[in-house]
Amino acid sequence: METPELTDYRAHLLDALDDQPRRAGEERPEFLQVLVNHERVGTLNCAHTDPSFTYSARERSIQHLEIRNESGVLVGGCVAPEAGQKSVRVPIGKGSVAIEVQNHFDGGSLKLQYAAAPGWWSNLASSIGFSSATSSPTAATTPVWTMTTAFAQIVLAVGVVALLAERVPNWLNAEDRAHQLEEELAARQSTQEQIDRVHQQLAQLVEAQAAAVAVSRSEQDRIAQLNALVDTVALAQQKLNTQVVSVQEDLKTVKTDVAQEVETGLRVAVNTVEADRELVRQDLKSIKSVNETLIKQVALLESRNRELHARLALTSLEVTKANAAPKPAVVAKGDLPKETPMATPVADGIREADRQAFMFWVAFQDGTTEKSIEDLVQELNGIKKGPMKSGWYSVEVNLPNPEPPDRFLESVKRAKIVKSVVTSKAMPPAQ
Amino acid sequence: MRDGQIFSARLNNVVTTEREFDELVAKSLPELLDRATGQTKRFLRETNQWGDDITHEKLALRWGYELVERFVVFGRTEVPCRPFFLLDSLIAKSFSQPDPLCYHKELLTPVGRFLDGLASRAVVSRDALIALFYHFYGFSQAHVVKLLGFGQAESQRVYKNFERWRQTGWQRTMNETGLSGSEIEVLEQELRTKPDHLNHEVDRLMPVLQSHYRKSEPEHYPCLSEQKWGQLFHDDYGHDYRVWHLAFCRDCFLEVADRRQAEVSSGLKPQVNLHIHPLKKGGVLALFGGDRGGRHHGNTRAHRLSRTSA
Ligand SMILES: [Zn+2]
Ligand SMILES: [Zn+2]
Repeated sequence: METPELTDYRAHLLDALDDQPRRAGEERPEFLQVLVNHERVGTLNCAHTDPSFTYSARERSIQHLEIRNESGVLVGGCVAPEAGQKSVRVPIGKGSVAIEVQNHFDGGSLKLQYAAAPGWWSNLASSIGFSSATSSPTAATTPVWTMTTAFAQIVLAVGVVALLAERVPNWLNAEDRAHQLEEELAARQSTQEQIDRVHQQLAQLVEAQAAAVAVSRSEQDRIAQLNALVDTVALAQQKLNTQVVSVQEDLKTVKTDVAQEVETGLRVAVNTVEADRELVRQDLKSIKSVNETLIKQVALLESRNRELHARLALTSLEVTKANAAPKPAVVAKGDLPKETPMATPVADGIREADRQAFMFWVAFQDGTTEKSIEDLVQELNGIKKGPMKSGWYSVEVNLPNPEPPDRFLESVKRAKIVKSVVTSKAMPPAQ
Repeated sequence: MRDGQIFSARLNNVVTTEREFDELVAKSLPELLDRATGQTKRFLRETNQWGDDITHEKLALRWGYELVERFVVFGRTEVPCRPFFLLDSLIAKSFSQPDPLCYHKELLTPVGRFLDGLASRAVVSRDALIALFYHFYGFSQAHVVKLLGFGQAESQRVYKNFERWRQTGWQRTMNETGLSGSEIEVLEQELRTKPDHLNHEVDRLMPVLQSHYRKSEPEHYPCLSEQKWGQLFHDDYGHDYRVWHLAFCRDCFLEVADRRQAEVSSGLKPQVNLHIHPLKKGGVLALFGGDRGGRHHGNTRAHRLSRTSA
């Protein structure tokens, strides 16, 4: 559709985008609004003696950070990985804001620190194109800064080389399969190591528990010891989580067969870990004389195990999805002005998002047969993902015409054999 | 279009410095906007939220614009990157959130789009947030200051908000929302001839609108009981809370405004009272004089809207 009104509107928007850098520099930073995942979480007062802002999020990690001035102009921000950390410094007005995001899967923390411009920084910044203003009069007209500029370029060059060494291979050598394979194997290797470490921790835990039974009179010491072990395990698991994500990230550029291989590796690893955990869990159950503190610790461990292992399963799943060969686009041909080679992965990205929206966990009534579960899943056109975990099945459906998930889930709930349905994406709900 | 193709190719390649990113992006805005708009249309189609008309085309453009705005700012922190790839992943990430866009059939009318434009702006702009009190209820800056129980320094801030909104914010918001001059004129006309009808419509749409945009409110800002509100004002805390929640919650607003009527002393029963254009300078007079286009309420008092009606 092409009408004068639309053309006009589009032109307005383009002007606004074009004007964005100027507007971002226009207002003297005073109160900066902080938005996390599109929610306004507070204000950074730049005039304050300690112009800093901290925030921590529960449940969801900090994936999306926006900094806006009072009139709403977007002056800075970034996206951060779901787990792991990101720190950047963004120029705002004549100063800058240092952003530090630290994410784990179910939350994250954010720290912002505003620094009014020390002279050298703004000049350095503008001379190497850091500042969002396209040209800085100071840099352009003052010869004093020529030296700084030269220096800055050296700094920049070194910086770029460092960046290249660190990041560019992922992008540039996308075609170089041998190299990719190497990297992936390395990634897989390190994942394996992490998993091995968890194994070891679990073994130690079992030992510790055996010891606890044997000398049950002096429990206190061993409980302290166990606490420490559980912490270590938790830490290892945390690391493993992070590792899995970075593997997942790396895998995004890899061809399907490699991905499959890695996925299989992961699944095997997951299964082994799972088996070990099952053992641990049984052992734990057989220990009668452990006091209440110990039981609580174990419960905590169990829930962490469940969480971790659901995440591992989900991650393998996503790895496959991320690497599946692009399917032909089903919709909206000629919708985009130009079909560039990049368009297909996008379509996939969106479809993947849709699919994810239809992942859910379902629990069945006691005594429901495997057969009727299969039948229901088939009826829903769904796929069961992974084995049952603590009574919950993960099911993925892919509807040709997506209904609103709520309505769809309502209809699932109505099935007689279904006890409960939950949409928590990452893990089976705790019981 | 030849240039476009060259940039298109470059947008698929790796960009290694922030400067390179900025320069390329500045030259390729039309392509980036078209790509983001196209993705948005596709998303709307696939989720059965598309209609073949100018309103939907405008919505897609508006959301495409917002995506590109973020891309331009965030992208610099992601170099080295492939710009198109990064844009696509940002878009995919945005659309995979629950309820990523405010799409409601009722909000596709001119008045609905007007309200939607204001509210979505108010989520990111304090100027617009403060202005909501005027556009929704006709509160001048002085009333807002009294309603919110602000001291000297914060009052200054409120006045500043009103001023910036009046000078540029409002017009920019209309432009970015895609409300043309003639559409606004029609709204003004309707407000002059059928104020009650239009205000009733606003009252009806507000819950739809607010329930969407209140999502952008942190969880720790829930509705408060009358007693809690009283306490909050009495003990003088939660200033941010007051601004944010009252601007975005009609029920709490009406309750607090009613309760604080003595302080606010507007002499009017607080109620929905739409204003299209921003408050002119010296707007305190305008509120009572009724010389603004939007205000022509012969029977203001007769038209009391129940605060509990949806
Ligand atoms: Zn909505
Ligand atoms: Zn409320």
